[in-house]
Amino acid sequence: MFRIALKGILGRKARLVLTSLAVILGTSFLSGTAVFSATLNRTFDNLFSDVFRNVDSYVRSTQVIEADFGAEERQRIPVELVDMVKQVPGVADVQADIQAFARIIGKDGQPLGSEGAGPPTFGGVGQEFKGALWTISEGRFAAGPTEVVLDESSAKAGKFALNDKVKVVAQAGSREFTLVGIAGSGDVRSPGGATFALFDLATAQEFLAKPGFIDDILVSGDGTLSDKELAQAISAAIPSSYKTETLTGAEITKETQDQIGTALSFFSILLSTFSYIALGVGSFVIYNVFSISAAQRQREHALLRAIGASKKQVTRALMIESVVVGLFGSTIGLFAGIGLSKALSALLKAASIDLPSGGLVVPSSAIINTIVVGLIVTVASAWLPARRAGRVPPLAAMRETAIEVVALSRRRTLFGLLLIALGAATIIAVTSGASNKWLGLGILFVFSGTITLGPVIARPVALLLGKPAEKLRGVTGTMARQNSARNPKRTSRTAAPVLIGVALVTAVAALAASISTQIDGVFTQQFKGDYAISTNARGFGGLSPSLADDINTLPEVERATGIGLLTVKIDGKGQYLTTINPATVDGVFDIGLTSGTYADLTAETIFVSQKYAENNKAKLGDTLQVTLADAQVKTLTIAGIYEFDDIAGKYTVSRDLIKDSTVINFDLGVYIKLKSGVSDQSARTVLQAAVDKYGQGTLLSKREYIDKQSGSINQLLGLIYGLLFLSVIIAVVGIIITLLLSVFERQREIGLLRAVGMTKSQVRTTVRWESVITSLLGAVVGIVLGVGLGWVIVYALRDQGLSSFSVPVGPTVSILVMAFVIGVLAAVYPAWRATRVNLLAAITTS
Amino acid sequence: MNNPSAATATNVSKIYGHGDSEVRALDNVSVQFETGKFTAIMGPSGSGKSTLMHCMAGLDEMTQGSVTIADIDIASLKDKDLTKLRRDKIGFVFQSFNLVPTLTADENIRLPLLLGNNKGNEEWIQKVINTVHLQDRLTHRPSELSGGQQQRVAVARALSSEPAIVFADEPTGNLDSTTGNEILSFMRKAVDELGQTIVMVTHDPVSASYADRIVFLKDGKIAGELLNPTPELVLDYMKNLGH
Repeated sequence: MFRIALKGILGRKARLVLTSLAVILGTSFLSGTAVFSATLNRTFDNLFSDVFRNVDSYVRSTQVIEADFGAEERQRIPVELVDMVKQVPGVADVQADIQAFARIIGKDGQPLGSEGAGPPTFGGVGQEFKGALWTISEGRFAAGPTEVVLDESSAKAGKFALNDKVKVVAQAGSREFTLVGIAGSGDVRSPGGATFALFDLATAQEFLAKPGFIDDILVSGDGTLSDKELAQAISAAIPSSYKTETLTGAEITKETQDQIGTALSFFSILLSTFSYIALGVGSFVIYNVFSISAAQRQREHALLRAIGASKKQVTRALMIESVVVGLFGSTIGLFAGIGLSKALSALLKAASIDLPSGGLVVPSSAIINTIVVGLIVTVASAWLPARRAGRVPPLAAMRETAIEVVALSRRRTLFGLLLIALGAATIIAVTSGASNKWLGLGILFVFSGTITLGPVIARPVALLLGKPAEKLRGVTGTMARQNSARNPKRTSRTAAPVLIGVALVTAVAALAASISTQIDGVFTQQFKGDYAISTNARGFGGLSPSLADDINTLPEVERATGIGLLTVKIDGKGQYLTTINPATVDGVFDIGLTSGTYADLTAETIFVSQKYAENNKAKLGDTLQVTLADAQVKTLTIAGIYEFDDIAGKYTVSRDLIKDSTVINFDLGVYIKLKSGVSDQSARTVLQAAVDKYGQGTLLSKREYIDKQSGSINQLLGLIYGLLFLSVIIAVVGIIITLLLSVFERQREIGLLRAVGMTKSQVRTTVRWESVITSLLGAVVGIVLGVGLGWVIVYALRDQGLSSFSVPVGPTVSILVMAFVIGVLAAVYPAWRATRVNLLAAITTS
Repeated sequence: MNNPSAATATNVSKIYGHGDSEVRALDNVSVQFETGKFTAIMGPSGSGKSTLMHCMAGLDEMTQGSVTIADIDIASLKDKDLTKLRRDKIGFVFQSFNLVPTLTADENIRLPLLLGNNKGNEEWIQKVINTVHLQDRLTHRPSELSGGQQQRVAVARALSSEPAIVFADEPTGNLDSTTGNEILSFMRKAVDELGQTIVMVTHDPVSASYADRIVFLKDGKIAGELLNPTPELVLDYMKNLGH
């Protein structure tokens, strides 16, 4: 039987290729994402080994606040520690290090690097130091308050030459410097696409941070002590009152690598999740191809049965075939995936994220995983068709043509309906109070039920969708319509991958539309001004607080207020506080105060949200202990309670709270109300001038600002669409394969039609419309499921403040158009094959 | 003007292979099929009778010679025009697998017209349907029809576009003799009552005897002709040919 199976495979190479195609695609995404993640990890590991290559010890504060999303804010250390460390025996050289926000403004007035979306923009200290990251490639290091050094990439991107004036924006505002040097780092011109502006130590402290403070100290030993001994010696030399710790070079390297690893693992998980979705979609295609090819060989199998092969033997022959296809497909998929990851790296490079070339990393786990998963998926997908093939009656050998069994059992209908009913019941149970965690199960039930019912609904829905084709194309349309409905099992299996892809896209679009609507509503309610200045810097840098103060002095402006974010520790946990300016916020940005007045908000008080007050039984006059990032502990009295917590969150404080600390605070937005009678034209001119002075932030009208906020979700959406595109590719390939096999099966019919006068272009039209109808079938059912799924997700997020559901009308229309286009494209090759049918061979009886 | 010949083959040869392996399926065949007549082409297997029909109907390319159908020289036609010629001027009845399984009997009958986006002559179509007794089967699909009914649909389809000529390739080959005779009677009626021109390839003397004239083929050449045949005459003639 093994030999028969092998002969069966090699006898029809075209079939082997078609069957393997789905396996290849599915597994290539799997191996591609694994290799890409591993390579990215290794790249960053190498990068940080390089950064700390000659650093033997690293001194920093032990005071740190860890907030959500892995954000971390570490306290600064006093600069006098530098001299203290320098005195320690065994220390050869030290460098005071500052890592802060600084944005280089190009000659055209636009900041270098994309605001928000791009890699970070750093400011730091550049000096001669044995362990320095930077080496001067042109000019010299900065000395004095008017000099700056740029990294090579930034200098090139901004077309800056030595002695040019360079404008830089940082904590202390915007200033102009003279470029005295250009620095490189290792074999990259600028690590990871970030930009760097380097100053001398005094300038860096004053301009980037706070005078007298630095972030950490890099130490290079003289070789008399081991790294460990050196760290201990330094640690012993610094009084414990400074609350510092000293790490060895190896330790800080490892810690940084681990941090990056954690950040990257989110990305890796996202990538692999979607590659598994794509593989799941692919398994439908594999199942479909095996079913069709088994049906087309029905007579062959019947003959084997007639001459004495057992059911088991026929099944086993097909299972052996699936093992061969699985191994063959996954192996090719593995290599295709390695190519794919190369393409991804090239894409990153094109997006100007320049990573040091470390070569591809192909972990053995990726190899094993790809082959094993590919094999399992293939064999599991072939299991049912193989069993069905074994059950073919020997008598079928005498039948005219092989026809796939199309009888639809009532059991299937009942089972499918039961699954959907179960799913619906689960979801209803959740909406009437059961735990959210049951939602997943409910969704799974509904999806499985729909897939089970697929063959039952495929015929009526395909016939309905085919109506326009019939109207438009006459008899060719009629035939396309009937062809797509003639084998409902096959049609539904072909449409299933489209259905799953479309359902996921629609659900994501519905979620995004709901979030957008929500954000729109929140800002419309709270933002009472006319203009806003926004910045995209998320958690790193932002608008200088003096921008809002400057704008407040403009004669055209009634009032301008800045709103920012502060990371602190409350009850030992990292928390975000919203900072406002109580003197200017009223009437521009409304947080819905229900008790207290803005005047009550001082450096000694705090406002909390109504929800917080209810949940924590807090009332006016209660106190909260807040630990700032510089370890100062403040006891704040609750002086007000507000209703609108979508933007402000749980806590709101005055920006005066941090006036006397080393904590740096930026505004994330400045909101402006104009004096009445000021024209938009003149307002824009003066406001833009104020923004330009700082070289930071974007001036937007109220409408533009709200649209931008509610559109911010679209970036995430783009990424998810991109990843779901993998599944779409597989769905298209599924349609192509099915059409090819159907064309092959209908050779005689096509030959007959050609003989009685069907032109080649009419043959193509028929195949094309059949493809379009199949694709639309998947899309329409997918949209219905996706909108439902989206609603369920939005419902599940109601506690996160998502209160309204919006149907994504625009995306739905684009999906339908896409499905149409996909149908047309998928049909190109099969339609061409159909016109190549040998007319004579098809009509003469053998 | 009414050409007495619906289809004409002049010096038609069909050669497969080259040199020593050369096979002449048709060797310099010239033949005319008269308008309004029922002609049968007979001959043993491999005599080239099907090849002749395929070449004359534009289904296969000839190596040499020329064929005209309704005064059109088909050798000069490109695939698209040849397809249209088959659709508009030629009717076909094959031995089996004549019908499109997804279309109803009525749609199958009108298929050449539908493909040409042509309404056709409704009066004629009704006459054809009545002639083959299919009035009450029109909404059925092929799988719901008997073998004989399927062939009647095929005959009606071949006639529906009022073609210049109908080619039938062993139309009764898959049917029992009673059903087969019924089909042949319909074809006879189509010639006598509807004025159609039919050319039928067959190896069965009884079938051939329904024709007005029989053309005999042997080894790719015309071996003789017989007018107004009866089954006995056909058998005798075939014996004389060395059968």
